[in-house]
Amino acid sequence: MDTDSKIKLNVSNGTAHVWSLEDIARLRREHQICGLLTGTLPHVAQQNVFLGLPLQLMPEEVVLLIEHGAAVLVDEQASHRIPTGSQLNSWQQQQKSKAQSSIPPLVDSTLNTPNLSEDQIQKRRLREEKRLAAAQRSTTPTEVSEDRLKATDSSNALQTAYNVDVPGASVEHPWYSPIVYESLESARAAGLWTFPNTQSEKARCAVFRDLWKQGYFMGIGIKFGGDWLVYPGDPLRYHSHFVATVHGGSKDHISPMEVVAHGRLGTATRKSHLLCKWHEQEDRVEYFSIEWAGFG
Amino acid sequence: MEGHVSYPILAPVIKKYPATAGPLFQTYNDLSLAQRWESLEVIDLSNALRGGFRGRRPGTTESSVVVPCFLTESLSMSWISSVFQDLPDVKDFYLAICTEDSSVVYYRMSKGIVKPPM
Repeated sequence: MDTDSKIKLNVSNGTAHVWSLEDIARLRREHQICGLLTGTLPHVAQQNVFLGLPLQLMPEEVVLLIEHGAAVLVDEQASHRIPTGSQLNSWQQQQKSKAQSSIPPLVDSTLNTPNLSEDQIQKRRLREEKRLAAAQRSTTPTEVSEDRLKATDSSNALQTAYNVDVPGASVEHPWYSPIVYESLESARAAGLWTFPNTQSEKARCAVFRDLWKQGYFMGIGIKFGGDWLVYPGDPLRYHSHFVATVHGGSKDHISPMEVVAHGRLGTATRKSHLLCKWHEQEDRVEYFSIEWAGFG
Repeated sequence: MEGHVSYPILAPVIKKYPATAGPLFQTYNDLSLAQRWESLEVIDLSNALRGGFRGRRPGTTESSVVVPCFLTESLSMSWISSVFQDLPDVKDFYLAICTEDSSVVYYRMSKGIVKPPM
């Protein structure tokens, strides 16, 4: 797969985001990766049930996608260049023409009332001038182009508000030129992406990969006190069967109290708890499932 | 403990693994008297360094394995693995966690990824 067709993972401050809707769909359909939508919706900012772009990925998901050659890492900070003078100028022109074209065309109202007397026309003119003056004094941003003012002949209504378009994706800007890394090694050398760094992080990546290879979808496990929720298929279609925790290395110790906590929580929520351990030398993962016995 | 009616059955294993005598004793009494398990026999789990039990849970025909431990013990993935090594044909066992107030709680440990029952 050439670089252009690979999914772009935009890395900012050590976190990878996906801004393209097509890529998000591809991640789910072709690569069994769901991620988490984290964008608030502008008109309903005080809720987090419905979220929008961007999609945020877990570090284990990023590592898996890069290792499989399905995605590349983009250095967001370095990719946003300083715009040149001419780029800025043409951008400003674009914004202006967008604003003007969004103002609805003025209606010549005198055409509809041919029977207005001189007196009435005079009164109407005064009324329009007053309204224009009030609009200019108000705090809502309005802009009226010079030409429009001249053309009104002061007898027409003035619509002065216009929409401002905020582009969602940086790729729409001419000064955005992506700096791309195709391998974890090159991204690590550049200081952009250093996960996995510790032994436990490597173990997490290995367990994640092993579960993924078996066809499971993984979600964030914080709501159930584990590392991941493990679904037998797409989370939109299935409930998760397991809450997984990664053990081993310096984290090999499991207290019986943990067994009780994991087992009880799992059983109360119709899940089992999955204890996972990566055996590095053999590169295999060992699993044990815990559930409450139902007696005692 | 030595004067208790259960002691003779447990004595050989207690002598071999004195450190886990407490949970062994507590679990045996709970299984036989409170949980009413049948055909209880003591087994030796040398890798897990303790004794355990095989028996039938009331209402079942298959026998199950119970491995006792104390709440304050430090278990590990390796330890769970060693129990399964002691029991080659067994797919799951009950971990009996014993506490100082003489409560025993049981959790099933299965080998591999085992879905929860419906």
